[in-house]
Amino acid sequence: MKNKRKQFDYVRWIFVLPALVIVGVLLIYPIFSSLYYSMTTKHLIKPAYDFIGLANYQAVLTDPEFFQAFFTSIIWTVCSLTGQILIGFTSALAINRVKHGKGVYRTLMIIPWAFPTIVIALSWKWILNGVSGFLPNLLVQLGICGTLPQFLSDNSMVFITLIFINIWFGAPMIMVNVLSALQTIPQDQYEAAQIDGASHFQQFYHITMPHIKVVVGLLIVLRTIWIFNNFDIIYLITGGGPADLTTTVPIYAYNMGWGTKMLGKSSAVTMLLLLFLLLICVVYFTILAKWEKEDK
Amino acid sequence: MRKKKERLGSGLCHIYLIILSVIAFFPLVWVLLSSVKSAGELTSNPTRFLPKHFTMGNFIHVIQDLGFTKNISNSLIIALSTTFIAIIVSCMAAYGIVRFFPKLGNIMSKALVATYLFPPILLAIPYSLAMARAGLTNTRLGLVITYLSFSVPYAVWMLVGFFKTVPIGIEEAARVDGANKFQVFVKVVIPLVLPGIVATAIYTFINAWNEFLYSLILINSSDMMTVSVALRSLQGAEILDWGDMMAASTMVVIPSVVFFMFIQNKIAGGMTEGAVK
Amino acid sequence: MKRKLVLILTGIMLAGSILTACGGDSKTDTTAAADGELEGDITFWHSFTQGARLEVIQEAADEFMEGNPNVNISIETFSWPDFYTKWTTGLASGNVPDMSTALPAYVVEMMDAEAIVPMDDLIDQIGRDKFSESALSEGEKDGVCYSMPLYSHAQVMWYRKDLLKDAGLEVPATWDQFAEAAKALTKDGIYGCSFPCGSSDQMATRFLNYYVRSGGGSLLTDDLQANITSDLALDGIRFWVDIYKNCSPKDSVNYAVLDQATLYYQGKTAFDFNSGFQISGVAANSPDMVDQIGCAPLPKINKDDPDYSAETSNTPLVVWQNSKHPEICKAFIEKLYEEDTYIKFLAATPVGMLPAIKGISETEAYRSNETVQKFIDAEQIIAKAVDMGTSIGFEHGPSIQAGLLNSQGVIERMFQNILTNGEDVETAAQAAEDELNELFRIIQ
Repeated sequence: MKNKRKQFDYVRWIFVLPALVIVGVLLIYPIFSSLYYSMTTKHLIKPAYDFIGLANYQAVLTDPEFFQAFFTSIIWTVCSLTGQILIGFTSALAINRVKHGKGVYRTLMIIPWAFPTIVIALSWKWILNGVSGFLPNLLVQLGICGTLPQFLSDNSMVFITLIFINIWFGAPMIMVNVLSALQTIPQDQYEAAQIDGASHFQQFYHITMPHIKVVVGLLIVLRTIWIFNNFDIIYLITGGGPADLTTTVPIYAYNMGWGTKMLGKSSAVTMLLLLFLLLICVVYFTILAKWEKEDK
Repeated sequence: MRKKKERLGSGLCHIYLIILSVIAFFPLVWVLLSSVKSAGELTSNPTRFLPKHFTMGNFIHVIQDLGFTKNISNSLIIALSTTFIAIIVSCMAAYGIVRFFPKLGNIMSKALVATYLFPPILLAIPYSLAMARAGLTNTRLGLVITYLSFSVPYAVWMLVGFFKTVPIGIEEAARVDGANKFQVFVKVVIPLVLPGIVATAIYTFINAWNEFLYSLILINSSDMMTVSVALRSLQGAEILDWGDMMAASTMVVIPSVVFFMFIQNKIAGGMTEGAVK
Repeated sequence: MKRKLVLILTGIMLAGSILTACGGDSKTDTTAAADGELEGDITFWHSFTQGARLEVIQEAADEFMEGNPNVNISIETFSWPDFYTKWTTGLASGNVPDMSTALPAYVVEMMDAEAIVPMDDLIDQIGRDKFSESALSEGEKDGVCYSMPLYSHAQVMWYRKDLLKDAGLEVPATWDQFAEAAKALTKDGIYGCSFPCGSSDQMATRFLNYYVRSGGGSLLTDDLQANITSDLALDGIRFWVDIYKNCSPKDSVNYAVLDQATLYYQGKTAFDFNSGFQISGVAANSPDMVDQIGCAPLPKINKDDPDYSAETSNTPLVVWQNSKHPEICKAFIEKLYEEDTYIKFLAATPVGMLPAIKGISETEAYRSNETVQKFIDAEQIIAKAVDMGTSIGFEHGPSIQAGLLNSQGVIERMFQNILTNGEDVETAAQAAEDELNELFRIIQ
C-alpha cells in the first residue's frame, strides 16, 4: 500500500512537470539573469563587461527621461484602461439588452482583438496618414477641418490617437468577458426585482454588479499589466515619437538596449518596471481577495 | 408607458452598437479595399470607397517579387510547433492541477498568472543573450522556445477552466473498469474537453502568429523572418507602396480573424473562469 | 507504469526532434579544396530588395556558381532602416553574413568592432588607381582599407519644371530663393518641400548638414565633438523650421527616407533633396511626370559662395571577419566589378548609381542607356557633387562620432522637440549637442 502511494505521487508530478520546467527555465531563469545583467556594464556588441553594483539603477533613477517615460506609461495605462473598460462594459450591457442581432454585433466588434499588432499599426497609419489618409481627407471634405488633421504628428493629438487605437484593440476583450459573465446571472433574479419595482439602475447595482465584480476585477488586473508592458503598439505606430511624446517605459528600455546598445542599463529599467508592476498587483489582489470573501 | 421606454432604450442600444461595430469593423474593410486598388488610385483619391479598377497586382507583387510566402510559411511552422507543444504540455498540466493538486493547484495557477507580470521587454534581453550563446538566434527553434514562455502559462490558465467542468464521477467509473490514469486522461477526459482544447489551441496559434517583439530581436535574417517583422520591413523597402503593405496585411490578418470567429464563443469562458470558478 | 513512462519520454523526444527539424538552417562546413579551386558556401546580404538590381546581382551570383560548381552563394536582402539593428544584433549573436553592402558611417563602427577584414589585396588586384581616393579613405583605418565602394551617389536638389514655370520662378540658387519658391509653390494640395525628421532615420541630420556645409561648416568640430550650436548650425535649424512651418506636410516630423521621397514621386512636393535615385522612383510611381523633373546643385547661402557638395555616399562592400571563405567573397566581388556585369548593375538604376571606378562612365555601353542619355545633365551635376562631397561628418576623416551622428536620431529628436513641443531653438540645439557628446564619451 505504501509503495503504491509513492508511485501515485510520481505519476501526478509527471503531469505537471513539463509545464513547471518550461515556466521555470523560460521565466524564472531570465529574471535572475536580468537581475545580474542589471548590475553590469553589459553591451550589445562588445564582449567584455564589468560588475558595477547598483550604478545602473542610480543612473536610471536620476535620469529625467526615465521619469518622463514612466509618467507617460501611467497616463497611457490609466487612459487606455478606463476607455477599454468603459466601452467594453457598456457594449456588453447593450448587447445583453437588445433582442435582435446579438451575434452580429458581437462578431463585428470582436474583430479588432484578432488583429496582429503590425496590422493594427499599418492599417491605422494608413487610415490616418496625414497626406493620403482616409479620415483626414474625409474630415476636410466634410468641412469639419480646414486643413488635413495630423493625428500622428500633432503634439496635441498623437497621444490621444494612440490611446484611441489601444481602446479600439482592447475593448472587445473586456466586452466578450463581461458578456459571458452577464449570461451566468440567473434571469429570475431580475424578474423578482422587477416585480418589486426596482429601477434599471437598482437592478444593475444590486444584481448585475455583484455577479460580475470579480470577473471585471480580474480583467482590470490583467489589462493593467498588459497595457503597461505593451511595447509593440506604440513602437510600431510612432516609435515613441515625435519628440519622445509617446515614449513609455518599455520603449525607453528598448532604445536603451538596442539603440544605444547598453543592455546592462536597459536591464535595470526592466527590473524597475517589474518591481512597479508587482506593487500594483499586490494592491489589486488584496482588493480582489476582499471581494471574493464578500461573495462567499 | 413602460413598453415605450423599453423600446426607446433598446433603440438607443442599437444605435450605440451600430456605431461601435462600424468603428471596430472599418479598419479591416479599409485594409481589404486598399489592397485591391492601384497605387495611383490610393493616393489620388483618398476618400473613394470602392476601387475604380479592381486589381490583384499588389498581391502578385507581394507574393512573387517580395517573397512573402516564405515569411508566411515561417510563421506557420513556428506558430504550429508552438501550439502543438504548448497544448500537450498545458493539457497535462491543467489536468494535473485540477485533479491531483486540489490544494496546491490554486497556488500553481496563481503563480501562472504571476508570469503574466513579466514584461516581455525584460525577458527579451536574457533571451537574446541566451539564444546567442546556444546558437539559436535566427532559427525557428529559438522562436518556438521563447513563444512557449507566454503560450504555456496562458494555455494552462485557460485549460484549467475547461478541465474543471469534467465531473469526477465519469473518471471514477472508467477507473473502476481498470483504466489507469493516463488512459483515463487520454480516452475519457480529453474527448470531453476537446472543444475547449481546440479553442485554446487556436488562441495559442493566433498569439504566436501575431507576436512581434521576440521575432524582431531574435531574427535578423530575412529568410527566417516571421510575417510581423517582414511586414514591418516592407515600410523600408525601396518603394513605399501602401497597396503592397495592405495586400500583405490582408494575408496576415485574414487567418487571425477567421480563426477568431470560430472560437469566439469559447474564448471568454476560458480566460476568466480558470481563476473565478 | 514504466511502459507509460517510456511512452511519455518518447513523446517528448519526438516533440524535440520536430523542434530540431524546424530549426534547420545550420550552415554546412566545407573547406577549400587543395588544388585552389573555390569551394564552400557564402551568404551575401545586400540592400537591393527588389527589381532590376536584385535580378542583376542574382544573375551574377548564378554565373559565378556556374563557373565554380563547388561554390554556393545564398543571397539575402535587407532594407536600409533595418540594417543597423540587423548587423548589430547579428554581431552580438554571431549571425553576420560572409559579405554585405554597408553604409560608410557604419563601416567605421564595424572596423572598430573588428568585424570586417582588410580588402587591400582585392583593391590592388582591381587597380587601386581606378578608385577615387576619398571613397577608399572612408573605409580606411591605420593605412588599411576595410571596404570598397560599389557605387556612388550624391545629394542634389530636385525640382518640378512645370510647377516652377507655371509660377514664373527660376531654379533657386540660394537658400533664400529656395524658401521663397517653396512657399510660393505650397498651394492646391502641393507642398513646397517636405522637411523629414522621423527619429528612425537620419533625414534631418542630412538636411541640416546641407545648410551647414553650404556655409563651409561641419556638424563635427575638428576634435570630433558635436557642433550644433554654432551660429551657422543655428541658422540652419531655423531655416528648416521655417520650411517645415510654411511648406511641409505636418506629418513629416515622423518621416523616414521613403515617406519623404514618395511624396515627390507622387507629385505632391515641388522640391526635394536626393540623389539620382529620384528618377527611377518617379518613373515607377508617376511615369507621366518624368519629363517634368530636373535637378540642380544644392542651394548656397550667398549667390557668389564657392561651389560645394554636402553629402556623397559611396556605398561599400565589406567582407566579414566571421566568414570562413573570404577568398570566395573576394573572387565574387571581383566578378561584380567586371565591366559587363558592373555596367549592367549600374543600368538597373541609371543615374541613381554612378560608377565608383574610373573608365566606366566613358564606355559606350554605359552611355547608351536611355535614361542616362535623357538625364545626362543631371548625371553631370551629380557626378560633380560626388567628387566634392563626403559622408555626413566625414569632413574630418572617417570617425565613430560621424557614425553616431547618423545612427542615433539625436538631431531628428531635436527638430521634433522644436517643431512639436515648441522648444526654443538654442536650448534644443544645446541639449542635442550635449546628448551627442555624452554618447561620444560613452563609446570611447
